[in-house]
Amino acid sequence: MDAGALGLYVCLFIALYFEVFLMVSFFEKRPSKKDSSLPEYYPMVSMLVPCFNEEKTLAGTIESLLAMHYPKDKLEIVVIDDGSRDNTAAIAREYARKYPAQVSFLQKENGGKYTALNLGIEHSRGEIIGCLDADSFAAQDALMEAVKTFGNDHTAMAITPAMQVYKPRKMLELMQSVEYTFGIFYKKMFDNLSAINVLPGPFSMYKREVFDKIGMFKHAHNTEDMEIAFRMHANNLRIVNAHTAYVYTTVPNTVRSLLKQRTRWSQGFLQNARDYKYMFFKRKYGNFGMLVLPFALSAFISGIYAALYVGYRFLSIGAERVIDRFTTGVPLTLPHLEKIDWFFLNTGTMSFVIASVITLTLVAIWIGSTIAKTRLGPKAFLAYFAFFGLLAPLWLIRAAWGAALARESAWR
Amino acid sequence: MQWHKYILTFVITAAIFVTAFFIANKFDSQRVADIRATQEAVSINILSLETQFDLLGSLSCSTISDNPVLSDELNTLAARLSVAEENLGHDNAEVVSLKKQYSLLEIKDYLLMQEISDKCAKFKPVYILYFYSNQGDCADCAKMGDVFTYLRQTYPGLRVYSFDYHLDLSALRTLIALRKINESKGLPAFAVNTKAPVYGFKTLQEMQKLIPELKTLATSTPIQ
Repeated sequence: MDAGALGLYVCLFIALYFEVFLMVSFFEKRPSKKDSSLPEYYPMVSMLVPCFNEEKTLAGTIESLLAMHYPKDKLEIVVIDDGSRDNTAAIAREYARKYPAQVSFLQKENGGKYTALNLGIEHSRGEIIGCLDADSFAAQDALMEAVKTFGNDHTAMAITPAMQVYKPRKMLELMQSVEYTFGIFYKKMFDNLSAINVLPGPFSMYKREVFDKIGMFKHAHNTEDMEIAFRMHANNLRIVNAHTAYVYTTVPNTVRSLLKQRTRWSQGFLQNARDYKYMFFKRKYGNFGMLVLPFALSAFISGIYAALYVGYRFLSIGAERVIDRFTTGVPLTLPHLEKIDWFFLNTGTMSFVIASVITLTLVAIWIGSTIAKTRLGPKAFLAYFAFFGLLAPLWLIRAAWGAALARESAWR
Repeated sequence: MQWHKYILTFVITAAIFVTAFFIANKFDSQRVADIRATQEAVSINILSLETQFDLLGSLSCSTISDNPVLSDELNTLAARLSVAEENLGHDNAEVVSLKKQYSLLEIKDYLLMQEISDKCAKFKPVYILYFYSNQGDCADCAKMGDVFTYLRQTYPGLRVYSFDYHLDLSALRTLIALRKINESKGLPAFAVNTKAPVYGFKTLQEMQKLIPELKTLATSTPIQ
């Protein structure tokens, strides 16, 4: 076996180890089913909506908050315009005028999402602070479910939702709908391990005391939602997943915008991991330090390695074929159909290991779809398996390059 | 920290790897068994034809088709053996044993075919004895193999007998001596029908010039 293939086996072992770990966690503690109980206590909630050039989706986001099943006098919506150049401010102002008791509007010079969130926190009254990106929409009972989770677990200091893709239609959106469904599973399992690694922009909720204890959002390489999760773990503040609080987010539908978004996330992870490197393999930070951080970093490296290795193999075999074509004079032909029998299938050890990884991924996606009641068609799976493996290495490599040069990625 | 969970996960993951390894081995064993079964079938067919030949003294030439012996089966065997060699390694004892058997079958087929062609004037076979090496001393053998594979597929009537030059098999050594194949002149080497051996890599176009008899053979696909 050549060294390259050995490296691929190491990558597969890491991937399989991680998936098995999550499955073991799942069988230890299965997610509870959604029930119709009501919270014992309704805290004052401030939902912050930071926005920058969101004229297309802002109204829908505010409408979804106004439609929440939650006492109106206990919910305030704070829209913070971070210096938009489109019609965002006018839309927000109109809602503030129309619903003065519930919607307030703040406007500032462009300074980045974290500055908008911090301004919103300063000008809000809630005991619970929620964030909802202006391209996302929460289910009507999402807030109720989140508040119930806070009520059921008094150690919870922040809550993440079950995030799904909003009306996926195009291939890239369908691809991400499968990915997000897989994310619903692993977020819940990370919760079982007390190791949730990010508090995403769409519908993450915080107790106000979090900010009193550890400070406000930071720039954090344009991934303030990740950094605050790292900081909470560093200060032993617990993050819980409310898997029954559904939120729907619009996702990039072009390769260019997807690469830009994912490069920001991936590069943000690398740079935050560097800032919090002291947490790696430290027992005092629990599964977050012992499993999630090291695995996430090794998955990053493995993703790049596997893509480069497989790409190199394909290219070298392809080049060999082309060179052979010229040197032998034998025309390139497709394999004869009659030759396709089991004997000629690749039945090496690696094939079965890859099949195991894919099977566990499919099981995880199925569990995720059961938790969040998402429906994924064959087209979505086709998009996921056809494109994700091709695109992910691109943003991983770009992110690694950007982090190496310490170049900041763009928020928008 | 739940160390037991980390250890349990490691054990399960390792078990999946070990299972994958055993399943892959099982498939390889099945492949070897499959090749053996095909070789036995070929062997029985050759023996049957030889016996028929002996019984009748001379087989009726009118009953002999263009491909009297087992060219298709031998070609299938060659492809399967190549996969087994790739998966298990060329120095694997099982692979070496299969190759020896295969080479013997080829030699028997070659001899029988010659006998038939001597007795039946209408039967004019075109055959190539091809000698290669996969011990790293023949850079062009893989390319030459591609050319012969293509020729085999294009001209189903062409019989290509390929032999691993370094295979430790006395019958093969005798054949090499009879056809005066000299390794020092460089591999790959091949001999077309009864002609003198040719050494070194030849392109498809060169092969078509070297074997004008190919024009007498039917093709399975259009020639490009």
